[in-house]
Amino acid sequence: MNTRLIKDKIATGILWASMALVCFILAGIILFLVSKGWSAISWSFLTEPPRNQMTEGGIFTPLVGTLQLIVVSMAFAFPVGVFTAVYLVEYAKDDIFTRLLRLAVRSLAGVPSVVYGLFGLSFFVIFLKIGASLLSAGLTLGCLALPVIVGASESALMAVPQDYRDASYAMGATRWQTIRKVVLPAAFPSIITGAILSVGRVAGETAPIIFTGAAFFAPNIAKSLFDQVMALPYHILVLATAGTNIDKTRPIQYGTTLVLLALVLGITLIGVIWRAHLRGRNQSLK
Amino acid sequence: MGNTLRGDKAPQRIIQTISIIGVAIMLFILFFLVKESIPILKEVSIFQLLFGMEWYPTYDPPDYGMFPLIVGSLSVTLAASILAVPLSIMLAVFISEICPRKLKELLKPVIEILGFFPSVVLGFIGMVVLAPWMIQHLEAYSGLNLLNAAFLMGIMIIPTVTSLAEDSLASIPKDLRDASYALGATRLETITKVVLPAALPGILQAVLLGVMRAIGETMVVLMAAGGAAIIPLSLTDPVRPLTSTIASEMGETPVGSIHYHALFFAGLLLLLLTLGLNLLAMFIERRARRLRA
Amino acid sequence: MDRKDKIIVENLNLFYGETQALKNIALTVPEKAVTALIGPSGCGKSTFLRCINRMNDFIASCRITGKILIDENDIYSPETDPIELRRKVGMVFQRPNPFPMSIYDNVAYGPRLHGVKDKGKLDEIVEKSLKGSALWDEVKDKLHKPATALSGGQQQRLCIARAIAVEPEVILMDEPTSALDPMATARVEELVRMLSSSYTVVIVTHNMQQAARVSDITVFFLMGEMIEYGPTQQIFTSPKDRRTEDYITGRFG
Ligand SMILES: Nc1ncnc2c1ncn2[C@@H]1O[C@H](COP(=O)(O)OP(=O)(O)OP(=O)(O)O)[C@@H](O)[C@H]1O
Ligand SMILES: [Mg+2]
Repeated sequence: MNTRLIKDKIATGILWASMALVCFILAGIILFLVSKGWSAISWSFLTEPPRNQMTEGGIFTPLVGTLQLIVVSMAFAFPVGVFTAVYLVEYAKDDIFTRLLRLAVRSLAGVPSVVYGLFGLSFFVIFLKIGASLLSAGLTLGCLALPVIVGASESALMAVPQDYRDASYAMGATRWQTIRKVVLPAAFPSIITGAILSVGRVAGETAPIIFTGAAFFAPNIAKSLFDQVMALPYHILVLATAGTNIDKTRPIQYGTTLVLLALVLGITLIGVIWRAHLRGRNQSLK
Repeated sequence: MGNTLRGDKAPQRIIQTISIIGVAIMLFILFFLVKESIPILKEVSIFQLLFGMEWYPTYDPPDYGMFPLIVGSLSVTLAASILAVPLSIMLAVFISEICPRKLKELLKPVIEILGFFPSVVLGFIGMVVLAPWMIQHLEAYSGLNLLNAAFLMGIMIIPTVTSLAEDSLASIPKDLRDASYALGATRLETITKVVLPAALPGILQAVLLGVMRAIGETMVVLMAAGGAAIIPLSLTDPVRPLTSTIASEMGETPVGSIHYHALFFAGLLLLLLTLGLNLLAMFIERRARRLRA
Repeated sequence: MDRKDKIIVENLNLFYGETQALKNIALTVPEKAVTALIGPSGCGKSTFLRCINRMNDFIASCRITGKILIDENDIYSPETDPIELRRKVGMVFQRPNPFPMSIYDNVAYGPRLHGVKDKGKLDEIVEKSLKGSALWDEVKDKLHKPATALSGGQQQRLCIARAIAVEPEVILMDEPTSALDPMATARVEELVRMLSSSYTVVIVTHNMQQAARVSDITVFFLMGEMIEYGPTQQIFTSPKDRRTEDYITGRFG
């Protein structure tokens, strides 16, 4: 074998190794957290609130808080995101507004999460006088999820074949009728998978909610939009860095981390698998 | 016909109005960060803010020198990029050029899912796994330091860089690879001499966006970087990047205080940095697209 | 016409997974002549061509039995280095596919791979190859401009220059003019005739007139089988097989 082939073989080996290394890191983290956190998790861990200055009890309050934040953020980001995508794909002409809109969406996707937190604090909490609350934190997370949903919905809408629209127009439908009756239904499953993925992102975020409504500790779950909420990611941060007894609560920390990871990866996995399923179906349609 | 078209105008108006929200949010973010930063500029000179060496916002008199924080952000980002960017590009090359198809169908979602790892989970791993390991093996003082945060931040940006770089590699036409093989090139030669150069703009864009994510990353540095506002002289020195400074201090400072405004100024710096990187990436993409056309 | 046989194909079968794309092909390709492969779409012309420089190695599902000998060496024997083989057997593709680099670097790509580092030597090879592909006069002042700025016909001639720069013995061309306009096609055809004085050329074409104009030998493929093989003159004037006649006269395909 000449040196060129030997180099080729070595490089191929290194590239395989790079893949193995990344998979190893990923699997290592997951297995480590499962092995450490498994024993802490029980039915009562999930259904009881933290007790005794959070050194005992479960994670019911932060778990519910995270779900509430998801609902509030999606109630805002989903409709706005989908309609923005509809505008971009179905209506937008190549004018100043469209360019500005595209630029804004791309820029929003790159804004650091802690900056969203600052924005939420100055705008929702202080300027709009909503206060640190479920609503402020949820809206802040919604802003963060918006570009993700716009992006996913845009590609879902663009994947709808032009033929469908033409067929609808040919029957005398208006543009809006075409969008509502033909385009949106066809794109809807893919739009939903995009939304699911953005939920995965929202559920794990910490920085945007620290100063907009996440509570260090709350005795009860939020009853109204204006209550503060506990949230899983912030709860982990608190227990691991500021708890009254960091070492004593290690098992709870591991348990909480595992629950958060399972929640986020579970949501993401559903989105990814469903999306793959949809793509497979579209492929076979073509 | 005129009637149906007029009936069609109303939905368009409504949808366009809704889509203004996206633009509004971006403008509001800029506006509010600038607005809340301005008061600090009246107290402290911008030069003092950017290049002052002392960050003691709660002392009397306080010091608002952000240079150590900026260096903290940049040093962790740089170290993370050095660790993760080559690995990510290799992984992208593997997926696009070498990986058997079946494995590829598995690997791409796995990488994507890695991108969804909550950063607080990684920060936690840094505290309970990496920190003790570093104390034991590197004789680091606390284990929470630049290197620890860089490792975790590297893991955070691998998915971003890998998947964008892979997209760019996959967009290179098969024709070019065939032409190279037909001239007797090996796979390695084809990759390094034809495929990678052709995909370079896209890969550059992937790296920029990875760096952008790294600079804005908060939880990992908050939990694992150690939090000392000093200029790091070694990899095992603790650092306090801009992001973690904001996250840890904002909760403890009264709204409207000078410290509060100083933290907003730090946020504005972050925003401008990431916005700049984002715009640069968009510019590269536009130019590459124009060149191809 | 009595030339030495450059390529000898014996009992060649090729499968993509379960489906057989080539059935029992046996033929010989004479040295320093143009051999044209004709046949309806999907009959396996490209597949056959890609067997000769082992480009099918990259298709995982592809399996081959039988023999292809070039200068009496079996190219599918384990001793054959496919990389060395492809240096000896160049290829030009259907769509012009210059690398996104300068004209010079495109032509120098192959020689550099095979170890030519000397600048003077490279200059010489580039000039000779571009002259060989009748492109030199058009590009000699812009060698360091991007190759992608050339016209389609120029790009295809550049690809030919790139192929001959590694001094192959055989050049395979897969419908090299199908993406070109008539003027550019005429120039490439002229070039193919020119090349046949020093290279063994195998060309796939859908264009009957082209086959008649440029080739010495014509091979007719149908559904993975070789139906007829002979001097071009004879195939076009008095084909032996009914199916060949039908195809050439445009009754199907
Ligand atoms: N990579 C592949 N995998 C599976 N089947 C293939 C592959 N490439 C070609 N085939 C099949 O093999 C047969 C021959 O294809 P080939 O491309 O050789 O035909 P062709 O004669 O060159 O056609 P055309 O004139 O259209 O270029 C076709 O039925 C084609 O579908
Ligand atoms: Mg073909």
